[in-house]
Amino acid sequence: MIINNIVRNNSLLIKGFFVSGFLSLFMLLSSFGYTQTTEDEKNFQVCKACHTIGGGKLVGPDLKGVSEKYDEAWLIEFIQNSQGMVQAGDERAVKVFNENNKIPMPPNALTDDQVKGVLLYIANGGKLDGGEDTTSIDTQDNEDVELQVAEETTQLIAEMKRDGKRNMSYVFIILIILFVISLFDLVVVKVVKAKWIHYIIMLTSVIIIGEIVFVEATSLGRQQYYQPDQPVWFSHKVHADQNQIDCKYCHFTADKSMHAGIPPVETCMNCHAQIKQGKKTGTKEIDKIYSAFENNEPIEWVKVYNLPDHVYFNHAQHVNVGKLDCAQCHGEVEKMDQIIQIPDLSMGWCIECHRTESVQFATNKFYEQYTKLHEKFKNGEMPNVTVQNIGGDECAKCHY
Amino acid sequence: MKYTKYFSLIVLFIVVMTSCNKDKNNPGYDYMGDHDMYYTKYYKAYSPNPVFKDSMTNQLPVKGAVSRGNMPFPYATAGIGDRAVNQTLAGMQLTNPIAYNEETVARGKELFNVYCKVCHGETAKGDGHLYTSGLFPAKPTSLVDTYVQNKPDGEIYYVITAGSISGLMGPHGTQVSPDDRWMVINYLRSLTK
Repeated sequence: MIINNIVRNNSLLIKGFFVSGFLSLFMLLSSFGYTQTTEDEKNFQVCKACHTIGGGKLVGPDLKGVSEKYDEAWLIEFIQNSQGMVQAGDERAVKVFNENNKIPMPPNALTDDQVKGVLLYIANGGKLDGGEDTTSIDTQDNEDVELQVAEETTQLIAEMKRDGKRNMSYVFIILIILFVISLFDLVVVKVVKAKWIHYIIMLTSVIIIGEIVFVEATSLGRQQYYQPDQPVWFSHKVHADQNQIDCKYCHFTADKSMHAGIPPVETCMNCHAQIKQGKKTGTKEIDKIYSAFENNEPIEWVKVYNLPDHVYFNHAQHVNVGKLDCAQCHGEVEKMDQIIQIPDLSMGWCIECHRTESVQFATNKFYEQYTKLHEKFKNGEMPNVTVQNIGGDECAKCHY
Repeated sequence: MKYTKYFSLIVLFIVVMTSCNKDKNNPGYDYMGDHDMYYTKYYKAYSPNPVFKDSMTNQLPVKGAVSRGNMPFPYATAGIGDRAVNQTLAGMQLTNPIAYNEETVARGKELFNVYCKVCHGETAKGDGHLYTSGLFPAKPTSLVDTYVQNKPDGEIYYVITAGSISGLMGPHGTQVSPDDRWMVINYLRSLTK
């Protein structure tokens, strides 16, 4: 953890270094000639929603060479309030409005100078005066730094635990061999005369074998630390942590359905219609979304958290009613590139939470129907009402 | 030489055991897993299904079906020109069925933070994380400015359902249920009140 923090801090330092370097470079460049600021670029971001510069028509017309087509004064007025001009009956404004499906351009609260800056930005072909395509250089550096700091603690610990578990099979085999050899020697060959050696070896191996059998038998049918490869290299770390997208944005049925829901490709397209390149995988993985979207084929994700069919589990009950956070069961998913099952999903794991965690009895309307319990709750006889108190321990709640 | 034989046997054993390492793609073993005990053989919500032509268990509702308690959404959602016309039409025809009160505004805020915040920002000024971090190329519309606030509820409802005219905002109709959409609108109205 500590090492990881240091690496992270370093990365911040490096990032800061690049950013400050880029800023000073930029200031140096801009001190010569025209003083165009990044503000123009920022103001143009609003236009980008409907216009391109030399990229063809989107909603509004292509803006390449717009300064040559119209005079500056007219453009300034039109950009500031196009609808006012259309309603006032300006001939050219009405013509542009009609040419573009009569979709009104929203008014922009920009000063004349700011509009002039934007027009210059357009005339430069979408680049700031000073030439260099600085933004892409900046992100490039960040990419490299981020690749170096690709440390997933939760994921790493879980993976280590899973890999640690495998080694027990060799121990198991070796102990059985030891047991058989000593038994064979004791009964048949009799090379070693002192019998207590046999007894000690046999006893210890039986105890350890028993322990291994117990552990393995309990984990039978449980898939703790299961981490299948998915058809698309999708990173929860990138989406939920770096981009701060809420879990429920994609898993939108979590609070109204039994299943948390695997998002349809259309949900991916809400963002990925614009974002065509990933920082780590380039276009390779995102292209899979596009082909699925165009061919109308579902992406066959592999389900990680599996429950046997004799158990009923409902996400809505836990997320919508119980107001549980996703991380309470699924762990720090936002720190994982490839999702790994953290809890063992055993019955003991379920019941423990049902017995210890108290529900929001005072505020949550769902629990209003438990009138007797509410009386006790008000009297102070039961300060904490757990799920067990409202019947969460009964077999038929989950097994039916 | 007697011992080399035993020794090589043990080495062979270890090699054999290491070769069958547990694969991370393997979920492990179940008790009678393949015999209907653990996983029964019905088609689950997301499992492939040989019965249907598109081999999916989760089927779309029949075209034109209206789910219980929901109003149909009769407006065209394709084509830039059509969308502009239908957006205005929805603005004139649709009224907000959800009462404006503290409860619906609070629920609207909850939903806004899940579905809208990441682009439109905490304060709905169009400065969400996806835009400020430089990932999303265009600036999301400010929802507290007069341009959006002057629009009728129905137009905002249309945009949430079918996406913006420019197509930069995708349709969120599948993600946000109709009542929830109106509550988000209630929350948006509360921002300037």
